[in-house]
Amino acid sequence: MVARFLATENLSAQAAAWARDYRLLAPVREGQAVVYRPWANNMHPFLGRPPTASPKEALLPQTENLLSFTYRKDHEDLTRTEVFLAEPVPSEPTVVLGLRPCDARGRKLLDRVFLERGVVDPLYEKRRKNTLFITVACERMENTCFCHWTGGGPTSEEGSDVLLFAVAGGYAAKALTGAGEKLIAALPEAGPAAQEELAAKLATPAEPGPAPDLRQAPQRFLEAFDDMDFWMDESARCLSCGVCTYLCPTCSCFNITDENSGMKGKRLRTWDTCMSAQYTLEGSGHNPRVSRAHRLRNRVGHKFCYHPREFPAPGGEGAQPEFSCTGCGRCIKSCPVSVDIRRIVLDLLEKGERP
Amino acid sequence: MSLNPYMPSLATIIETFDETPDIKTFRVVLNDEAAMRAFRFEPGQVAQLSVFGTGESTFVICSPPTRMDYLQFSVMRVGELTHRLHTLREGDPIGLRGPLGNHFDHQGMKGKDIIFVGGGLGLAPLRTLLLYMLDNRADYGAITLIYGGRTPEHLCFKGELAEWAARGDMRVELTVDNPDKLWSHRTGVVPAVLTDLGVSPQNAVAVTCGPPIMIRFTIQALAKLGFTDEQIVTTLERRMKCGVGLCGRCNIGGKFVCVDGPVFTQAQLKELPQEF
Repeated sequence: MVARFLATENLSAQAAAWARDYRLLAPVREGQAVVYRPWANNMHPFLGRPPTASPKEALLPQTENLLSFTYRKDHEDLTRTEVFLAEPVPSEPTVVLGLRPCDARGRKLLDRVFLERGVVDPLYEKRRKNTLFITVACERMENTCFCHWTGGGPTSEEGSDVLLFAVAGGYAAKALTGAGEKLIAALPEAGPAAQEELAAKLATPAEPGPAPDLRQAPQRFLEAFDDMDFWMDESARCLSCGVCTYLCPTCSCFNITDENSGMKGKRLRTWDTCMSAQYTLEGSGHNPRVSRAHRLRNRVGHKFCYHPREFPAPGGEGAQPEFSCTGCGRCIKSCPVSVDIRRIVLDLLEKGERP
Repeated sequence: MSLNPYMPSLATIIETFDETPDIKTFRVVLNDEAAMRAFRFEPGQVAQLSVFGTGESTFVICSPPTRMDYLQFSVMRVGELTHRLHTLREGDPIGLRGPLGNHFDHQGMKGKDIIFVGGGLGLAPLRTLLLYMLDNRADYGAITLIYGGRTPEHLCFKGELAEWAARGDMRVELTVDNPDKLWSHRTGVVPAVLTDLGVSPQNAVAVTCGPPIMIRFTIQALAKLGFTDEQIVTTLERRMKCGVGLCGRCNIGGKFVCVDGPVFTQAQLKELPQEF
């Protein structure tokens, strides 16, 4: 397949072209952060570094409507009301620009939950089918990046429709799916210089460095489960702020709440966080996860034990497990107190080695 | 029929009455008569009740599938949703999603002696199985119910307790922590009654539900009496939202109480990371 060329000076114009056919989410600079925003005129997509937030918003919006309800008084008997329900408005076809290979892999992990676990979530399924990912291959690893620990890499193609490689004057665009090919069909073919540069990049991708062997992580987690001293140590700094879960490309837990306005309202799904004490607080006052130690343990356990056990890797026992973590490092980079999930996993492994 | 798993069916409360000062029973039918006729569930399954504008919460269907005139729910007033539910009356609209979750293995219990051990509103999930068994009485051995509450006033299903005791084909042992002058039954906690009676584990299954502390000591008492982990069945509660295994919060290790539970044997619980 021939690579196409997207010149840097044409990026905004091309984004505008995509935005005519799709809802386009593009990364833009806002203060210190790079965030995805729906396309608006005069926007300047910024592809220079990984966006601060993950693109899961495109598939699992921070807030979405699950249903609407309306109460109506019965005119015959005004002490009685009737209720009417309506389905949510269907989602529009969407293109997400400027995510990274780790984010694109997150899509597969969200699929596990919303499409493969049991009940298919039709709202997610619809979005999943009509959302396309234009991913930017990473030039280098940041010091919080660890995609290669969990089966990814800086040029991983998994989950993307188009992969962009930075070359002189712009990007060489490689279509990975039929839909991706259509997206870039209008772009000119990459010239010989860009082709050459792309070939060189594909031949010698950024070297991510050695990765620890995490195959024992699920077992080590279970062994350490009851050691609350260990978890108190690991979580001592945690503030339960939840930023790790909100920025995570694979965290998918949600809350359901009603919003009421007079005789009508909506039932909303919103992102939730297992870092919050309210998350598991029961009406009786009982809380199975009373402390930050319990809650951080759940997050690590879900990503590095429960998920790989629920979805065993195809290679069997000795294979690299599929973790519910793409190694994007956002939870490390944005944690206000520098909790580092890599450190916790390595501590688990190390603890397991000790006699 | 909506494909949206979050879309409840519309239902109407046809009857409501108080069980205790803070527990109310609701009898509910689906508005769509055909859907009500087609509604199938197994004893132990739960449903989500919606008060639109307030929210949704999970309750066991405490009537048995052998009596389908209505679906019964008994609800303790503890939080926002249950406070709102308690203000509703006959004829008021609600939403219902269900049935959800797994159920008691009543097939596997056939031919066995059944010991129900309940405390407070923990009798609700036992009631659905007990009535199912009474409606298929010949399939089961001796049936014993040991049921306790804080005071006589705090016992649920009071009218039925007397009926069950009078049946002659099951044994009912009642106990309260704090008796009043009229109380003619036992005094003391449920696990102590269990030990007192010296219930035999021979060809038996014990099904228990109640406050966590009661369940814990009941399981200990049953183990002392010689019940194996496979012979002890309980139901768990967790905060739930979606009810279909997606929203995440009701996990114990890799299991979700809303789909893998709420019914577990003690053997299954021991396999899970201990996070209760």
